[in-house]
Parts: sequence; C-alpha cells; structure tokens
Amino acid sequence: MSTRKEVAQRVVEQAAACDISLVASLPDNWVAEVIREFDRDDRFRHVPVNREESAVGLCSGAFLSGTGSMAVMGASGLMTLIYAITKINYTYEIPLMILATLRGAPGDKAKFHVSNGLYFLPSLDAINLTYEIIDSADKIPLIKRAYDHSRTVSRPVVAIMTRDVLRGEA
Amino acid sequence: MAIPYRDAFQFLADKRQEELVVTSAGNSSQMWWDVTKDADKTFYLDASMSMSTLLASGVAYGLPQAKVWAFMGDGAFIMNPAMLMVERDLNLSNLVHVLVSNRVYGGTSDLDLPNKPVTDYVAMAKSMGLERCWNFETLGALEDGFDAAFRGNDQGHSFVVLELDPMLAVDRDIEEPPMDGPEIKFRFGRYIEATYGAKVFTHQF
Repeated sequence: MSTRKEVAQRVVEQAAACDISLVASLPDNWVAEVIREFDRDDRFRHVPVNREESAVGLCSGAFLSGTGSMAVMGASGLMTLIYAITKINYTYEIPLMILATLRGAPGDKAKFHVSNGLYFLPSLDAINLTYEIIDSADKIPLIKRAYDHSRTVSRPVVAIMTRDVLRGEA
Repeated sequence: MAIPYRDAFQFLADKRQEELVVTSAGNSSQMWWDVTKDADKTFYLDASMSMSTLLASGVAYGLPQAKVWAFMGDGAFIMNPAMLMVERDLNLSNLVHVLVSNRVYGGTSDLDLPNKPVTDYVAMAKSMGLERCWNFETLGALEDGFDAAFRGNDQGHSFVVLELDPMLAVDRDIEEPPMDGPEIKFRFGRYIEATYGAKVFTHQF
C-alpha cells in the first residue's frame, strides 16, 4: 500500500527518466495528485490546457523541437482526441506520450463514466492506438516503456492507470 | 476593408528571414507553398482544426533561439479560441500567432462563419490577457506595422489578425505542398537539427 502522493511521485520519476520536460494536462480527479506533483517539480514545465486537443498540439510541436513531453488527461478527454491523434500523430508519424485514466472500469462508482466503461478501450482498439494498462504499482515502470515505444514506432502510446493504482491500493 | 489573400502572403514571404513557419488548413498551406516553395523551414499542418498555433508553441517552447510564425484561419480559431489562454500562459516571445481572418471556412468552399459580421478577434484576445495584439485591414497598414508586430516581440507572445479577402477563384487550384506527412516531418525536423542542434530524431531511444 502506498499513498496517492507516493504513487504520483513514482509516475513523475518515470517521466523524468524519459527526459520529459514539458507536461500538458487537463485534470481528471484520479490524476489530480499526479498533476500537482508535476507542477511542484522544477524539472518540468507544467502547462494546464483548455482542452485535450491543445495538449496534442503542444506535445507534438515539442517533439519537433527535440523536447520530451507528456499529455496527462482522463479517459473522457482521450475520447475527444480521435481526430487530433489520427490527423497529427498518425498522418505525420509524430510520437506522443499520453497518461490517462481507466474510467468506467469496475470500481468506478461514477455513473457518468458508464460510457467510458463501455466504449473507451474499444475506441482505442478501433484506431489501433497502442496502450498499456497499469493496474498494479509494480507496472508503473511501463510508463517509460510506453514512452520509449512511442519513439520507436513514431506513434502515440497511452499509459492507462486504474483507480486502485492511483489511490495506492494496488 | 481587407487585404487580398495572395498579397498578404506574398508580403510575409518577402519579409521572412529565418523564421520557422507552421501553416493551418488548406488555404494558408497552399498559398504559403505557392509563394515560398519552402519544404524545410515550414511545417504544413493541414486540416488540424485549430491545433496549428499550439503545435507551433511546442516548437517555439523547445527552441527559444528560433523565431516561429504560426498561421491559423479564423474558421479553425473559432473552434478553439481558448487556445489563447494556453498561449498567454506560455507567453513565448519567439512566437507570432497569425490569425488569417476572412470570415469564411476557406478550406471548405468559403461558407460563412457564424457571427460573421461582428466578431472582434483582438477583443477576444485581450479578454484573455494578451497585450501584444494587432489587426491589419490594409496592405499599407501591414507594411507600416510589420516590424512592431512580427519582429518586436521580445516582450512576449504576439497575436496578429490579418483581415483578408477570401482566396480568389483563380488561386483555388494552386498546388498543395507535394509531400506526405512523414516527409514534412522529416524535412522540418532535419532542418531544426541542422540549424539549432536539437536532437529530434537522433535521441529517441
């Protein structure tokens, strides 16, 4: 068992290990502590964005400058990105690292995420968007693995964290 | 009043020095290609529906020694005007956001934008805290104000509205940049590597 803060710190260390220096975020409650941790850490420039598409644009441009970056968001935000990802990152083959939440999965009591439970992962599958599900703390190192893979394949890769991991309960 | 579309782009192309350029949807990409034939210092981001200036912001953030111009049509701008909040937070002194305003969806048959006659883009920008805003409605005004708007931005991000006529019918068939996405990426990225020493492709692993 860990605290949420300890989990957030482990996530941030993964980003640091990737040489990520720019983090764009739009919060989901589950990743709020992760975002706060990025904001507190001087190794990163944290940029709150107005919508998730802005994070896609910003991080994609950062890649073209040789700057490592990550977009942090909830599942709902990622669901809005089908066009942005396919237009920018697939068409131009630009890597992108996304950290998202597995909303709507068993254990999520929010009825407004039922749709994510039904359609989130199938939507990612439908556009062949590579993802890794982090459902236990020992899988947190998959974040760096996902980042490295995005650079290898020149496509976006998503690290999807579960509620229990983010709460320090798995 | 409004500036003829081609005249504005030709003027900016003539004035351009080492600036990196990111273009927006079809019209600005086509016209910029037509007047520059630049395949290395320009990233032709077609049909991004509002992401061109944020992509340019990422470039400008990572390359503070570079100057970046980013074109965006007003059809794209109104899809995501709060992008200016992000740009204001970043306040990149090496970025000029060029809003190509012709009050139509230029990339899709010049159909009208909503609220076409009255939207004030500079007022929108100022409401979000942007201070360095310009609006040019004639070529003469653009010529007179160019240095201040495009070169004098050491104090922070600049937002420049160009009020243009829709692209002329005779220009509708000008060539699109004859490159696929990956070629655009590699040419632009290789130019950045060679010019600024950034490791775009050689530091991925």
